Amino acid sequence: MWRGMAGAAILVGLMTLFLFALSCRNAGSAAQASAPLAFYPDIEPIIFENCAQPCHHPGGAGPFSLATYEDVRARARQIAVVTGKRYMPPWPPEPQKPPFLGERRLSGDQIERLRLWAEQGAREGKRPQNLVRSLPPEGWQLGKPDLILNLPKSFTLPAEGTDVFRNFVFQVPLSSPRYVRAVEILPGKKNVVHHANLLIDREQSSRRLDEQDPEVGFPGMDVILESSQFEPDSHFLFWKPGTPPSVEPAGMTWRLDPGTDLILNAHLQPSGKPEIIEPILGIYFSEEAPKFFPMLLQLEHDGALDIPPGGKDFVVTDEYPVPVDLDVLGVYPHAHYLGNIVEGWADLPDGRRQTLIRIHNWDLNWQAVYRYQEPVFLPRGSVIRMRFSYDNSADNVRNPNHPPQRVKAGNRSSDEMGHLWLQVLPKGGADQRIVLQETLMRARLGKYPNDFSAHFNLASVLQSRGRAREAIEHYRAALAVRSNALALNSLGTALQEVDQFEEAAACYRKALRLRPDYTDAHYNIGLLLLRAHQSERAIAHFEQVVRARPYDADAHNDLGSALFMQGRVQEAAVHFRTALRINPEHQNARDNLRLAEQRGR
Amino acid sequence: MNRLLLWLFALTQAFTLARGSGEQIELRDPEGRVVSPLRESDVRASVFIFTRTDCPISNRYAPELRRLYSKFAGRRIAFWLVYPGHKVSPAGIQAHLKEYAYPLPALQDPDHRLVKLTGVRVTPEVAVFAGSGAKAHLVYHGRIDDRFEDFGKSRPTATRHELEDVLQAILDGSPIATSEAPAVGCFIADLE
Repeated sequence: MWRGMAGAAILVGLMTLFLFALSCRNAGSAAQASAPLAFYPDIEPIIFENCAQPCHHPGGAGPFSLATYEDVRARARQIAVVTGKRYMPPWPPEPQKPPFLGERRLSGDQIERLRLWAEQGAREGKRPQNLVRSLPPEGWQLGKPDLILNLPKSFTLPAEGTDVFRNFVFQVPLSSPRYVRAVEILPGKKNVVHHANLLIDREQSSRRLDEQDPEVGFPGMDVILESSQFEPDSHFLFWKPGTPPSVEPAGMTWRLDPGTDLILNAHLQPSGKPEIIEPILGIYFSEEAPKFFPMLLQLEHDGALDIPPGGKDFVVTDEYPVPVDLDVLGVYPHAHYLGNIVEGWADLPDGRRQTLIRIHNWDLNWQAVYRYQEPVFLPRGSVIRMRFSYDNSADNVRNPNHPPQRVKAGNRSSDEMGHLWLQVLPKGGADQRIVLQETLMRARLGKYPNDFSAHFNLASVLQSRGRAREAIEHYRAALAVRSNALALNSLGTALQEVDQFEEAAACYRKALRLRPDYTDAHYNIGLLLLRAHQSERAIAHFEQVVRARPYDADAHNDLGSALFMQGRVQEAAVHFRTALRINPEHQNARDNLRLAEQRGR
Repeated sequence: MNRLLLWLFALTQAFTLARGSGEQIELRDPEGRVVSPLRESDVRASVFIFTRTDCPISNRYAPELRRLYSKFAGRRIAFWLVYPGHKVSPAGIQAHLKEYAYPLPALQDPDHRLVKLTGVRVTPEVAVFAGSGAKAHLVYHGRIDDRFEDFGKSRPTATRHELEDVLQAILDGSPIATSEAPAVGCFIADLE
């Protein structure tokens, strides 16, 4: 018995010594040896700000609550370990200047306090009487949305298996274009949705993939969208656990058109039981048209991704010469499970290096959009660079292949990717995205001389800059790579600009053979036929257009014109009136209606 | 005097631990019945799976545990889900069993007696006793498989299946390759 007591005394002595050593190391910090730490007041502020408020509260994204002393006490050691490893709170980027918005990084002293508190028995202490803590409300954080979008049916995530990457198509029931200032994403079951990206599909190009899959949505880590107009993505629309929805700055709304689909690209993690996922989108409109035109720039070199099995440090790089002065507003790096060190930076004309992001130990699970506290200014002549390294060895436990296999780029989780997206805002008044896009596409052609989308996008840029003949060359180069309805239709419009109407009509007809329901091609060929006084044939095409786009005032006006030319005046008047109902400012429809009414009398 | 008794109690505990037998341990199932899981006769092995209703890593293992249960339960291997701590209520355990479709019988270990006997540290972690009654002895404790390497670091699928291999070895009468393997999960000591 005495022996036991002596043992205990020595133990106490050692503890005191140990604590003393600690308090010396953290001189001046809260980790004092004299009084053991207590939840109130030493621990609660750290937990509330970094854990409970963002995610770990009832109904929050965290898998359990840390909102009360009892909750935290029942995880004390676990909290000490996961904060000690800096796994929690999740904040992968290294510190940099300028810092990001909402950085959630514990100080060494805070981590030490959490460890010591757990070790000392996780005492409660006395809750201050005036302590008021409010947690985020359930549901919409930005208030009731102007438009709520639901899926036609829910998706059931299986109880087990590897992570699921699912894309959900939301159709937007709008009858006229609106400006959007914010989108709030309610991901459904927050505990199984790891992150979600929202993409704008202006050409309904994902609907077919959705229809081909018997379940709601379609699989894939990355989505490739088709677009025939130059309407580059300009905003990061993103959900990640614990980050409040972002409202666009003044003057930076974006346009949402009738017929546009929104695609939610979601990363889902099985929980052990089947989970019903019902994501909901809330759209907040603005009356204000955009005054500033940001653009998303993508650096990548997926074509160079060919990682040998066992390769521990495979590197992919890309660069973008900045053609105009611009501000970088945010950054979104993306790689899959082999990603290791992810870096983006700019080499400035004066030789300085500006870090944009650096993540050591990439973890797909915590991929996110990061916005800078202050915009990062890059003068013209800077070069933005990315450097991603990959670990395809068996030492990388996340390696999807066991044993490791040769891995190339692709959108399955067993494939790889390396993308660095930047949201940039060109300096100066006008919309300069087209300049950025031309540089981007020329850089892309440098990497991939036979790339369909590089030729196609460059052609679109050139066409919109009034260089139709150069555009035609690149459309043709794109079509030499593969036949495509969008490219045929666009080539048709470029040919019309240089008065090659016969060739243009041939393009539209070819496009319609590939996609008989392609509305734009119907519209374009309808116009050509109208111009050639073949109004009878034009009617059939315009009828297709108004069926697909009943809200399209121009199409109603054109259908009316074709009917009028056929002498079907009463029917024509109906369509002119419809056009005017949709757009009361439609001068052409107003003149046509007057004409029809005179003729009708 | 009180202190003396306490020390004696501690000594007995230590002795029990060293012997590695828990024949006399009595716990309650969620219906309130008293169960002596290691006194069961006629089993070739008993598997204790330590879990917690609100541990995400534990819960992700529910389908794998159902698979192992359906593979081995009919072959004279007893399975028990063990909920350490006194905070969880019998009704909470029953709701958890239903939510994750566990067909396994459950026990509550409010005073961590099974925890101490087996030396497990986290949920999910398993302890396997070979033999039954007085002959029951701990042959393995640790992870179910190697899917989780650390917090936030997991393999897409497990490459080693320690629990399954141990049970198969017992059935085959072959030697057991591993007696322990570190498990990753929620610390049981947080529930004291």
